[in-house]
Parts: sequence; C-alpha cells; structure tokens
Amino acid sequence: MATTIDARLHGGGSPATGEPAELTIVGSHIEVRAAGQVHTIQFDEIRVREVGLNRAGIELSWDAPEGTRALQVLDAAAVHSLRDNAAFVSLPQFSVLRIQQKRHAFGRSVGWTLLGALVFLPVLALLLFLWQSERIAHAAAERISLTDEVALGDRAFKQMRDSLELEDGGPAFDAAQSLGERLTRGSKYHYRIHVARSDVVNAFALPGGIIVINAGLIDATHRPEELAGVLAHEIQHVERRHSLVAMIKNMGLRGLWLLVTGDVGGGVFGSAVLELTSLNFSRDAEAEADARGFATLVAVGIDPSGMPDFFHTLARQDGASPPPFLSTHPASAEREQKLRMSIKELGQRRFQALDYGSWPPK
Amino acid sequence: MAMDVVDYEIFGDDMQYVEIELDPGEAAIGEAGAMMLMQDGIEMDTVFGDGSQQQQGGIFNKLLGAGKRLVSGESLFTTVFHNESRSKRRVAFAAPYPGKIIPVQLSEIGGTLICQKDSFLCAARGVSLGLAFQRRMGVGLFGGEGFIMQRLDGDGLVFVHAGGTLMSRDLQPGEVLRVDTGCVVAFQPSVDFDIQYIGKLKSALFSGEGLFFATLRGPGRIWVQSLPFSRLANRILASAPRAGGRQVGEGSILGSLGGLLDGDND
Repeated sequence: MATTIDARLHGGGSPATGEPAELTIVGSHIEVRAAGQVHTIQFDEIRVREVGLNRAGIELSWDAPEGTRALQVLDAAAVHSLRDNAAFVSLPQFSVLRIQQKRHAFGRSVGWTLLGALVFLPVLALLLFLWQSERIAHAAAERISLTDEVALGDRAFKQMRDSLELEDGGPAFDAAQSLGERLTRGSKYHYRIHVARSDVVNAFALPGGIIVINAGLIDATHRPEELAGVLAHEIQHVERRHSLVAMIKNMGLRGLWLLVTGDVGGGVFGSAVLELTSLNFSRDAEAEADARGFATLVAVGIDPSGMPDFFHTLARQDGASPPPFLSTHPASAEREQKLRMSIKELGQRRFQALDYGSWPPK
Repeated sequence: MAMDVVDYEIFGDDMQYVEIELDPGEAAIGEAGAMMLMQDGIEMDTVFGDGSQQQQGGIFNKLLGAGKRLVSGESLFTTVFHNESRSKRRVAFAAPYPGKIIPVQLSEIGGTLICQKDSFLCAARGVSLGLAFQRRMGVGLFGGEGFIMQRLDGDGLVFVHAGGTLMSRDLQPGEVLRVDTGCVVAFQPSVDFDIQYIGKLKSALFSGEGLFFATLRGPGRIWVQSLPFSRLANRILASAPRAGGRQVGEGSILGSLGGLLDGDND
C-alpha cells in the first residue's frame, strides 16, 4: 500500500490559491486526488523544483490539457515522506533537484559565514584594541617622527586655541616660563608654555611640547615649588609621548567603533564608551609622569615636596570628581602617598626655596 | 483549536479601520495599540505572546512566542478581545498609517500566510503569529523585506495592513511578476519570493529602481503595496523644513521670499 502525501494542487481548473490534494506514488506514475478527481501523471512528464520561502518544499509540475498544473508539497512531514519514497528518489529529476539543493545549501552557508565574518571581524579588532590599546598605541607612536609629532601638536593646539583665552604675559606667565626653562634644559623638544585664563584647576600637555596651565591652577598653588611640580609632571607627559599615545588610542578607538557600528557620531552609547576609555592618560602614564617629574625636580635642585603638597590640595577638591575606576587618573590622595614615600627615600637632602616674590603671582 | 468565525466591515478609504462583529463567546486578537473602539460587553485581556494557545503551553512556550514577536517588530503582548455579553458586539481596529486593510481567509489559501513584518493588524482568535526567517542571504539583503517576515497560521480570518494601495493578484504556475523591492506585502507559501538583478548597469545606476527587483513566481496569491511606509516617511521628511528638508512652494515664483509673504513660515 503506497502512502499518501498531503499536498496542494494549483493551476488548470484549480482555484488560483490551490486546493488540498493527496499524492500517491504508484509504480511508474503518480496519482493526485483533488476535489473528487484523480489525475494520473507518468514519471517522465514531471518537472521537479524547490519551492517555499527557504526552498524547503518540493513542487511537481506537468503540462495538462487544461494548462500547467503544479503540485506543491510544503509541509515538513510531507516533504520528508516524499523524500523517503524509493520510487520518487530514483527519478532522474529528483537527483538534479538534489544537486541543486546541495549547491544552494553550500552557497547559503558560505554567504552566512562571510556575513558573520564581516560583522564579527571589526568587533574582534575592537576588542583586541581595547585589550592591547596601550601596546598598539605605543608601537604606533614609535613610528611617528619628532617633526610629525610637533606638527600634530601644533594642529591640535590651533583647533583648541579658539576656546582658550591665553594670558601670555604677567608675573604668573613669567614664573611658569622660567620654571619650565629650568626643568626642560637639554630636552629634544622645544617647549612652549602657555597660561590660559580659566578658573578650573587644570593643566594639559599636547604632543611636541605645548603645555597649557590654567590661571586657576596657579592660583591654587601655595608656593612656586607646587607649580614646578605640576610643570615637571606635564613635561614628562611630553617627554614620554603620553599625549601622542593617548591621541592615537582615541583615534584608533573611534575608527574601530565606526567600523563596528557604522555610525560616525558613535551614538550616545558610543561617545560614552569613548569618553570612558580615553579619559586623559592611562594610570600607568600618570604614575610614570609623577615618578619622572619627581626625579627631574630633584635633579635640577627644586624641592620636590611641592608635588605631593599640590596633590594634597587637589585631594581636598576631589569630592566632586569621578571614582578612580571611571577616571584613569589615579586619585590624588593615592598619588600624594606615593610621592611622600619617595621624599622619605631621599633622606635629609635640603633644597633652596624658590623665590618669585609674593605667591601666587598676581 | 477551532477558529472563531467573525463578521467584519472595513471603513474609510485611505486611512481605514476594520470593525469586527463578535458573537457571544467569540474573540479576536489585535496588535497592541491597534484597538480603536469597542462596545460594552467586550472584555479586553492582554496576554504574553501571540494569544493563540491560551489554555495550553508552559512558560517557555510563552516566552518563545513573545520573543518571536519582538524579533518581528511587534509588541511583546497581544490583546484578546472577547465578547462576554449575550448578544453580538463590535470591536474596531485602526490602521496606524495611510494604507489599506486587507482581509485574508487563511483556510482559503491553505492555512498559512507569509507577510511583511509589522503588517499584522488583527485576527480571529486561534490564528498564531510566527516568524518566517529568510535563510537566503541575497533575498534577505536585497529583497526589500529583510530577513524576518511574519507567518500567520490557522484557518480563520486575518487582517493585514500596509501603506498605499494594496493589490492582490493570482499567479498561475510558473508566472513571474517583478515587483519593486519593499512593495511585497504578503504571499501564499506556494509562491517563490526571489530577487533578480535589474539587468543593465545603466539602469541599475540611474533608473532609480535599485540593483534588484523582487520576483514572485506562481502558483499562488500575492499582495503588493503601492507605497511602502518608509518611502512616504522619507518624502515627508525630505520636504519638512524643520527637519532640514527643502520647502517646495506650491507654484510660487517668489521662492523663499514667497514664504515670507504668505505667512506660512512653520
């Protein structure tokens, strides 16, 4: 007894949307029962085709006097029983279909793999960069020549200049200049130290030797040694190319983020992530600038205690700053502690106090 | 589960709504937010998932159903409207944007309809809403309907909505219709939905039809829309001055100066 397979018959006298039919495979022909009629079709008259949204179904079609008829087997169980039918499977049309299906399945898997790789690779690159950003940025920074570094810093400064109100003159500026000269003697960089009119206690260094100190920071210092400490720290950011590395890191992140999301602005989330990952310099860079700045102060004979003293002032203001894991700046108190240890290690060494008249300079 | 047989009436021309008449005890399911009005006696019940298997199915099944709805761009919840009174009551569902509502009797087309995601409006209780995932990459990327379409199963009446004017057409076995991508609304599963390269490079670049046509190959019934909503939205945005679009005056030779004079400066 041959099994009957549920199908749907289209074309000819059937309604356009088809009608339910039953398919039976008998010896060398098929029998299709639909709407009370039995259609008998010889095997060699049948054409076979894949159908359905994902080509999972099978269509048998043939030419009848009333027009082309198409019998579709779409239901998964029905397709299964058709494929299990020995007589049907031995049809040459079916082997052609099978080859076709294999080819399509292969193409599909290649396509999906490629698409997956296309989506996945930038994500992988981003993760790799996030993981090894310090190393990658350092390696890239080493390939940049001194002239290029200076040009890069100049360009960045030019962009910032509009939002900065420089106060290049006056006692504060003069003091910063003279301290800077003392601290940078013998450096391969040509330093340009600027004072910006801003109450925010802040200072920053750009690649190539540009250092900007806010007037607010100078006002917050209690003696010239504290300003010297800040300058020594910022100078080390330049000497160790920290600013350059930070810039490269930021650019790399932005580029990769663009690749992953296809969004130039990065969206709200994207810019938040970028902010978090590129907050100034890394903790290591800060610690390094502290240690080397300290050594420079000692070397040129300036009392290094100004450095931890200023951090002490900062620590008292830290209340409103983000927690240490958010800011890559180690908290001021932590840094102060470390520097006090270094001073202890110096022993009984005496330094001559700096004299710039009344401090802070007005 | 037996389907509820419902009577309906569609009102309006381009911004339509459908009013469904429910006999006592009958129910209809609606897309969340689609209900426009209902008569006294109709109880509203919001269910997680598609509401087709109310009595059976564990939490896992419900979550799966809800997840599918989320992927196809629908709300996690469906609302079931059942008539708790002793006489016939009506509930109406409105289309969310200009277009047409089409009724499809699932039993007539073999029990399954594949349609554009987000096009489901409402149905007789018992119709299940599922996903039809397009595994063929070319069709998914360039066919205009994406990788996810909606699959409506059952043998009751469903109402599908899409933008512009909707046309239904019956294709004979082997008959092929080339359709602009994005304009395919729904088709019977017997129809082969594929893409075809537009043919000439010049046409591909300059005809404005894009690189591919969607092709629908018979046998079976298809529904095509004249105006995908995204296209309408694009046009509106493009001519909305506030959104940075260009204001094209109604025949004013004064151009932007005309805007100053006619006082229509919004």
